[in-house]
This record gives sequence, C-alpha cells and structure tokens, in this order.
Amino acid sequence: MTSLKRSLESDPDSANFSSKVYVRSTKSGKVQKIVREVYLRQDIPCSSKLCMKCRNTAPANAVGVVNPFVLSDKPAGTKEYPQGHYLVPDTNALLNAMDLFEQSTAFYDVIILQTVLEELRNRSLPLYNRLIGLTKSEDKRFYVFFNEFRLETYVAREQGESINDRNDRAVRRAVQWYNSHLAQTKGNKLPTVVMLTDDRGNIEKAQAENTPATRLRDYVSGLENGERLLDMIAESQEKGISRDKKAADFLYPEHFSLSKMMTGVKNGMLHQGIFNVSPYNYLEGSIKVPAFPKALLVLGRDNINRAVDGDVVVVEVLPKDQWKEPSTKIIEEEAVTKNENADGDEGGDLVTEKERRALQEEVKKTHSTSTEGRAQPTAKVVGVIKRNWRQYVGHVDQSSVSQSAKQGRKQESVFLIPMDKKIPKIRIRTRQAGELLGKRILVTIDSWDRDSRHPTGHFVRSLGELETKAAETEALLLEYDVQYRPFPKTVLDCLPKEGHNWTVPASTDDPGWRGREDLRPLLICSIDPVGCQDIDDALHARPLPNGNYEVGVHIADVSHFVKPSNAMDHEASIRGTTVYLVDKRIDMLPMLLGTDLCSLKPYVERYAFSTLWEINPSADIVNVRFTKSVIKSREAFSYEQAQLRIDDASQQDELTQGMRTLLMLSKKLKQKRMDAGALSLSSPEVKVQMESETSDPIDVKTKELLDTNSLVEEFMLLANISVADKIYQSFPQTAILRRHGAPPKTNFDELSNQLKIKRGLELRVDSSRALADSLDACTDPKEPFFNTLIRIMATRCMMSAEYFCAGTQAYPEFRHYGLASEIYTHFTSPIRRYADLVAHRQLAAAIDYEPMHPAVRSRGKLEAVCKNINVRHRNAQLAGRASIAYYVGQALKGRVADEEGFVMKIFSNGFVVLVPRFGIESVIRLRDLAEPEPESVFDAENYVLKTSGSRDLSVELFQKVIVRISDAKDEATGKRGAKMELVKVIN
Amino acid sequence: MPLDTSTYNLALLRVDGRRWNELRDQRGQMGVQPSADGSAYLQMGNTKIQAIVAGPNERDASKTNSSASTAATAGGLGATVAVGITVAPFATVDRKRRGRNDKRLQEMQTTLAAALAAAVQGQAYGPRSTIHVSLHVLSQDGSLLAALVNAASLALVDAGVPMTDYLVACTAGSTSSYAAADEAADPLLDLNTQEEQELPFLTLATLGASDKVVAMVCESRVQLARLEGMMATAADGCKGVRDFLDRVVREKGEIMVQEGAVGRGEVVSSMDLD
Repeated sequence: MTSLKRSLESDPDSANFSSKVYVRSTKSGKVQKIVREVYLRQDIPCSSKLCMKCRNTAPANAVGVVNPFVLSDKPAGTKEYPQGHYLVPDTNALLNAMDLFEQSTAFYDVIILQTVLEELRNRSLPLYNRLIGLTKSEDKRFYVFFNEFRLETYVAREQGESINDRNDRAVRRAVQWYNSHLAQTKGNKLPTVVMLTDDRGNIEKAQAENTPATRLRDYVSGLENGERLLDMIAESQEKGISRDKKAADFLYPEHFSLSKMMTGVKNGMLHQGIFNVSPYNYLEGSIKVPAFPKALLVLGRDNINRAVDGDVVVVEVLPKDQWKEPSTKIIEEEAVTKNENADGDEGGDLVTEKERRALQEEVKKTHSTSTEGRAQPTAKVVGVIKRNWRQYVGHVDQSSVSQSAKQGRKQESVFLIPMDKKIPKIRIRTRQAGELLGKRILVTIDSWDRDSRHPTGHFVRSLGELETKAAETEALLLEYDVQYRPFPKTVLDCLPKEGHNWTVPASTDDPGWRGREDLRPLLICSIDPVGCQDIDDALHARPLPNGNYEVGVHIADVSHFVKPSNAMDHEASIRGTTVYLVDKRIDMLPMLLGTDLCSLKPYVERYAFSTLWEINPSADIVNVRFTKSVIKSREAFSYEQAQLRIDDASQQDELTQGMRTLLMLSKKLKQKRMDAGALSLSSPEVKVQMESETSDPIDVKTKELLDTNSLVEEFMLLANISVADKIYQSFPQTAILRRHGAPPKTNFDELSNQLKIKRGLELRVDSSRALADSLDACTDPKEPFFNTLIRIMATRCMMSAEYFCAGTQAYPEFRHYGLASEIYTHFTSPIRRYADLVAHRQLAAAIDYEPMHPAVRSRGKLEAVCKNINVRHRNAQLAGRASIAYYVGQALKGRVADEEGFVMKIFSNGFVVLVPRFGIESVIRLRDLAEPEPESVFDAENYVLKTSGSRDLSVELFQKVIVRISDAKDEATGKRGAKMELVKVIN
Repeated sequence: MPLDTSTYNLALLRVDGRRWNELRDQRGQMGVQPSADGSAYLQMGNTKIQAIVAGPNERDASKTNSSASTAATAGGLGATVAVGITVAPFATVDRKRRGRNDKRLQEMQTTLAAALAAAVQGQAYGPRSTIHVSLHVLSQDGSLLAALVNAASLALVDAGVPMTDYLVACTAGSTSSYAAADEAADPLLDLNTQEEQELPFLTLATLGASDKVVAMVCESRVQLARLEGMMATAADGCKGVRDFLDRVVREKGEIMVQEGAVGRGEVVSSMDLD
C-alpha cells in the first residue's frame, strides 16, 4: 500500500512554497479558515535605478513590456542620511499621516511594502485607495515591493508571535534586505533605506538589529518647513503615549457594538438612517427612517451623541413623554459655546449651563402648548454605522488662540469653526496657531472620543487669507467636493490630435460620416445666455408640404469624441457635471471639446445628434426619429437677440420665420404641459454683474425671463422625453432616466397649515395638478411677490430629482412629478452633464449606430454612475448658489440699502427674512433688534412674534418688512455676507 | 485579508505570487488505490482530486445516465465512458454537502464524459462495455474542471485504457474584469478560486501537445478581443500539464521496472525510458 503522504522537505522546490492560513469571520458570524498558496520567488526587482542586477531579471507582462524602474538614482537626503534615502513607512505611519505623503515638497522615493499595503487595506479602504493613487503618480516615485513573495524577505509567523509583531518583523527584514541588496551595486553614493515608524518597540528592535529606522515625527522635524508638516500627523498617535495618564471621564454614552445595532435594526427596535442637522439649530438633528413617514427628531448633545451631519447612524426612539416639537428657536453654536477653552480640561459637564438653559425653555414650551398632536417623536443616537467625514474648510476661532501662540512655537489646541454651520467645532493641535489666524484652512476630523466634547482633527493645508477671491473660491470648491484640478495628461491625450484645427471631414466617405445624415442645408440656429461658449443645443423648424412642421433639436455629438472607458470618460464620470460659479466655470470635459469641437458654434460644421419631429400645428407629435448628423449653425443668438429678432416685424427671412414657428409651437407645448399638471416652481435667482476689466462685482440683478427662454426649454424637454421613451424601449433594464418622486404629503404639512392660518388659503397636494392649481390660487392682490414667495417655499418641500437606471424602479416610479411627465431623461447637455453623455451612447446603440459598449450596458456600473452624478449634480447647484451668495456679499461691500423683504420663517427668538431684490435670506434675531434684548411673546399657533420693552413690534409670517442691508463679516463662519437690520414692519 | 487581483499591475504579480504564465505547483501519483483497475491522485495547487477507473465492464443498462454518472460513447460504436463526480463536504471553505443532483456537477460530468470519450479509443472494446471514471474532489481551489480532466486522464493511463494521447486541460483568465474594458490586460494561466471569482476565465482541454481542442468551457463574460490571447495561454498551459503527466507516468514506469512488475525487455520496446 503506498502512502499519499509525501513530506515537503524531500522536494527540492519546497523552499519556494509557503501557504498563508488565516481566519476570518463572515457577516453572519460564521468563522472561516482560508488557505492561500504563496509562491516565493527571486525575480521581484528592487526597482532602484541604481541596481543593474534587478534590471536583468525584471519581469515582463504578456506583451513583453517591463515596468519601468521607479526609485530615483539620486534620492533626496537629510542631515542624518546625507547619501540620500529611500523611505519605508510602516502601516501606522501611513494611517496617521497620509496627508504628509501626498505633499509635493517632501516624501519622494518611497517603498511601500506588500505587508503594509495589506494591513492598510484592512484598516482603512479610503487610505488604501489614496495610496494606490500615489503609486500611480509618476513624479512621486512610490514603488510597491511585494516582500511577501520574495524568497529573501518572506517571514513566517513564529509560534506565539502576534500578527502585528510578525508584520513589523517583515518590514524590518525587507529594510535589511534592501540595504544589503543595494550595497552590492557598484557606486560610492549609495542611498540608505530607512524605516519610518512610530512604534517605539519596533524602533528599539530595529536599532538592536542595526536596521536604519527613524520616528516619523523626528524625520519630519528634520525636513525643511518641518513645522508646517508636523501638524499633518494625526492627533491619535500622540494620544497613544499619553493615553494612560488618567482615566478620562466619559462625556458621551458609549456607542453600541455593530452586531448589537444590526440585530436591533433587524428586529425593528432600532432604526438606521442618515443624520441631518438643522441649519438653524446645531443641537437639533433629524433622521429619516423607513419605518416612519415623518423624520425623527434628535435633540441635544447627549442624544446626538457624537453624530456629525451626514453620518449613517442608528437611533433608538425615546419614550413618549420625551417627545417634543421641533425647535422654534435659533441656536447657534457660536453664541452658546463661545467661551469654551480648547485646551481646557474636558472633565466638566457635557451639557454646558447655557445649552441646558436653551433646552429648558424648549421643554417648558412643549408643556404649555395645548395642541398635543404637534409633539414629534424624538430619538437618540446609539451608534454610528458609517462616518461620512470629509475634509472641512473653516477658520481658526480667534478666541481659542492664546496670546503666546501668536509669537511662539508652542503647540496648543485651537478650535476650527467650519464654514458649514451644521458641522461642530473641530479641535486641532497646532504649532502655528498664530499664522493660521485669519486664513481659510482645510482640516480633517480624526476621531471623536467619548471623553471629548468636540471632535479632534488635524490641519491639512491653508488656502489663503480669508475673503480673498482665490481662497474663498477654492474653499467653496472643496466644501462641495468639486474636482477642480486641471485635467491630467492621460485625459488630454484622449483629445483629437488636430486640436483646434479639427474639422468635419470634407469627404463624405470618411469613417466619421458613417451613418450620419447631412443636415447642413437646414437653417439651424442656437439660442443661449449671453457669452455662452459651450453651446450644447441648436434648433430649426420648417413647414412641411402637408401643413405640419418639421422641428429639429440638434445636440452636440460629444459621444463621438469621448469614447467609453478611456481616461477622459473616466474623468468626466467622476466630475459628473460642469460647475458654474459666478466668475469661473469648472468644466466636465477639457476646454478643447467643450468650447470648440463639440460646441455647436455658428458658421462652422459640427457633428450633432439630432432629434427630428414632425409636429402638427396644434403641437402634437406625428412622428419622431433620431439620427447622428452633420449640421452648420447659421447664427448663435442670445435670448435677448432672439427675442428682438422675433419681435421685429421687418425681419421676414426664413431663419426668423423658423424661430417664430418654434415660439408658436413652444407656447402650445407649454400649455399642454401645464394642463397635465406641470409645476412652475421658483427659487430666488439673481445675477451678479461684473466690471469687465477687474471682474469685481458691481451690481446684482434678478434674472429676467423672456419668451425665448421658454422656447428653448420646451423643446429641450420634448427632446428629453422622446429620447427617454426610445432608450427605455430599447434597454428596459439599463436605460439612464431621471425621476422626480412625488413629495410625501407630510412635507407640506407646515406650509399648508401656515397658509390656512395666515391667509385662509388651502394647499392641495393630492397630485401635481392639484398642487399647481392651488399654488396658482395663492395670490395676494396687494402683493404680487406673495405668489412667488409661496412657490419658493413650496419648492423647498419637494424631493430632489434624481438619475436612476431603469431596471431599479417600477415603471410608475419613473414619473417626473415637477414636469408631469411619465418618463424623462437628460439628453440635451452632454458637454456639461455626464448623464446626457450616457444617454447619447444608449440612444446611439438604440438606433443601431454603434454597438453598445459594455460599460453602458452593465447595470451595476450604471447604478454607481447614477449615484455619483446625483451627488455631483446637487453639489454643483449648492456650489453655484454659494458662489452667488459670496459675490452678492462682495457687491454689497460698502453699501447700505433699504430693501423690501418678506418673513418666511419665524422662531421664538428671531425670524428669517427673504429679500427678493438680492435673492438673499438672513436671520434677524431678537437681540439684533434692540439693546437690551426685548421681551417677547411667541404665538406658535398663529406664527406671530410680539416684542415689547426696548422695542415694540409685532412680526408675523409672510409679512412684508423693510430691512436695511449692509455688508458685514459673519464672525461665525468667516464669510462676508449681507447683514440685515429691521427698519420697519409694513402692515 | 490579502490583496485582491487589482494589484496585478503594480508589479505584475498575481495574488499568490505567480507571474501571468506560470502554472501552480502540481503533484501526481498513479496507482493510489490498488484494488481499483486504475487510479490516480492529482494536485494542482490546492485543488486535490482522486480518480478511480473501473472497467471496462459489461454495460449495466439500468445504470447509465443516472444522476450518479453521465456517459458518452467513445469511438463510434465502441465503449462508453461514464463519469461520476463527488465533492467531499470538506473540500470548500464552507463545509457543505453537495447532492447528486447538483446541476453544476452534472454539467461537468457531461463535459468530462464527452471529452474523455474523444480521447479513449473505444473501438478496442465492444459496444456493450462501459468504462466508469469516479472522481472525488478532496479540496477545491480553482480550475476544478481542468484538474478533473487531468486526474481522469492519469487514472485511465493507470488502468491501461488505450488513448490517442493524454487528455489535458488548463484554465486561462484575464487580469481585468469584463466591465473594466482595460485594453492592456494580460492573460493569466491556471487560476485559483480567488481569481476565478474576480476575473473572467475559460477552461480549455486539448489532446496532448497538439493544439487539438477537445473541450472549451467559458461561463464568464469576456471581451472578444481578449479571447484569443486567453486560448493561446491556456493551450501553452496544456503543454505544460502534458509534460507533467508524462513525467508522472514515466516515474511510475521506472518504479514498476525496478520492482520487476514488468520485464525490462518488454518495456523498452514500447516505452522509451531514457
């Protein structure tokens, strides 16, 4: 009988095999033992340009290309390592100070070990991704050395050795190998390979073994501008040393364990959702959970329990006797916690005296109100599933900086006040507090421990002086996560080689003409805002012999230039949309395409994607077809020019006639849409006028709407709807569509109640039609703006529209509530929106112009794209608005104006006024009314706030007021903005 | 948790430290079950197979094409090859029992039976004879179908069933997933479980060192442009496997000669033992 068992030792190759055994537990709690083979080899290069030996054995890929060697032959040195050095960071160094490694002033020639990479991936996926990004950047010279696969550097775990110790040993072994390996090369200036770590034990062991090693902190302080860099090392590691100093008193309740939360959520005792902070009250949050129609309130620091706006948290509903009304008070963190000491001991009460008083008043009020039904369920946060921390922009709270810090280099804790009022103050430790004062700075949150009232974070970089255009614009872009870096070379390489000289090929036999229709003879024109460079769309109309009209919408054929899954497409899908700021445009696609090759400029031939309808005189569609085409726009009008030309009766040329036809049809289309129940919503829109030379804002104007605006809009809607139909027919699973959910009725509760009480008007919200009609009825004969005000407020109750993949929703859910259309997509602006580009590709496949690319066909991928562009779209809007707000503030600089405003929200200690002239809204607090703060009585049921004492006033909702607007710097956010003072109330 | 297949491009190393065109460690042995007509044990990485051949026997009409095994006729009117696969409950990470009616196993049985039938010279036996091949999966770590083919081949040689050449199989994959549409993707040879889960792959079976493809199975979506490279890689891998099987057979032969099971003179004429 032969035995199957054969000892590995007898095999000559046995040294080359190893296996990795590890244990992992699955989500369901099962424990799995995983065995992986490991093949050890000797042909993994060191990747140093100094080494000739490795060059000979360097591996090639399947086509015979060898990865270039990364590490420089003349690396930078320091005092300690004058010959130059390669750095080998351990996992903790990367975990604590990834920002440092991304610096452009230092940290070049870094060897990332596989051991470290694996550990990092387990600890933090985002950091891992950043590191992978670094290894791909050519100029940073990061090399990943697969030490676990190299025979000489592989380390087997010893009996009783912890996995961390084993990994540390693997790192040291790799450093030793590197040093001895480089020593074999000829040359007298050999760089040292240095281990960077913060683990004291590891350093000691390295010294014992004579392995070059240094503490991260020591290394950084040895660098030029080291002090600036020192701040970027995360807070946590310092703590590691001082942790055992004293057992801190815990301020916050402990978070539940993940499994406890999961079980709770599963059996319905706990609820999971995204935590949102009220913009008016930092101590009030709300969380929308699937189990309840209305959002749950989370009140007070205790209950919020370290959740930050945007985190995914788990909450527990509080007993009914603790249910409360949403706050009717404006509470700003600044005002309440102004005097907190950043360095001070944290042992005190969690809820400060002032905060307690603020809450107390709340409770009193709840008990006094007669209407029981208005109390809302409240909840407390019991744990955080996923932190949604990003980098935050803000400025250092002047009061938290000690006097000595302004000169000295002493490290101290200061508070950073984020621009976003929903984010709590962040405590950072810095040595350069004095320099940071008055600057916009970027920080990240590292942790929020139970024993600390505020989250702790660290400084990332400074954007510049407060209120300078550059710093504020960059701050805005960072705050809304807009990708504003210039396009990398890989993206620019995807552009056509001819550059600006690219033209539509003259010969129609050219492959570019394949499947294209020649629409050059058509009289096509474009209508856009003044100065528009990225012209997405152009139109034409002409009468047909049978009395109907042919109408064409021609959209820039961006998909011809941006091929799926190349670097440019990837970049565009990340950017998602072009962001328009007042003085700047952050493009989704490189300039060459956006403003030239794709842009449907007049007098030149361009590729287009055309939608052609036959429409009868009563604006019903007889038929529709889609085709790729070549067009030549005859003229690029601005809205005003187009309007003038249409109105000018002396113009009788065919182009103008076509435009008149379009206008006539668009009015009928609009009427049809309105009849179907489309909403006409409103938001306060203003335009900032700039001085052409200095681009300083000089005036603010409300936007004017002309007939031609709606002409273009109607046909774009029509094109979008037609395309949506077509791509949904062809690709019922993967078509990219846009939906606008019907808002839950409860969203309108407050507004309809306010309207009923204040004006006796009824708001019906059963359908979009009913809402549209009742909004039309909301008028005040004396006050024309009242209707717009209600529309603005109603708009805020709506859900936001979103992109989605057809397969993820049932057909009835496709409905676009606002436009009252059954199906909708975005097709008409591919230069500035990625969704349109995807729709173009799908439409091209639907008309058999080209095969469907897998990236546009995979539903999983499309869902990820939708998710991203939804976020980007929203951020772009917010960034645009914030930019306008900033410039309005700048335009008002040094001016004082009395303007009409309307009260749109009322609190027990203040009210919010909207000034339509500037499109700004601002809070006026009681304490701003007079000194000392007047006594007040707040009638919550009738929305009336009466003051007496130092100033007698009665302010009610929807009331017209005159306010004095001046510019002032908001101390809380460091933003310059309009400050309002109440002049008088108009009855 | 180690890295995943996306790190290949960093240093052209796969998750287990191999290059793109390297086979895993292979071990094989013949005659591991002396009571059977033919048997073999084969290991490709951590995929471990035991194969037992019984027959040729007279066909039992009631048993062919039951769910326990699937049969295919070799060489026109010749013998039938019946294949049965069992997977031990401990073969995978999660201990689980796989029934006889497992559809994937049945599909593999059909593929195997057809492939083996193409290699066996069935006309040497009567049309009423059946060769039973039972395959036992002891441990599973990717390239299962390929390992089954190779183990069956080895066991058939041990049983002395005439074949035109070794039937060998190997898997090949591509370093980038279908949707990634990365043009510079490398083909990969002999995938393990992790790679099979993350990347597109195919199994190719050829007749010996020739490029005659006997079976090809591809269940994942892969760009057409990459298919050729993958097939060429797999065919190269098959050559490597054939050399390996040949070595195992020759070693066994040498031992048999040493032990005197076969007379030296008889052997040299038919088997070149240099």
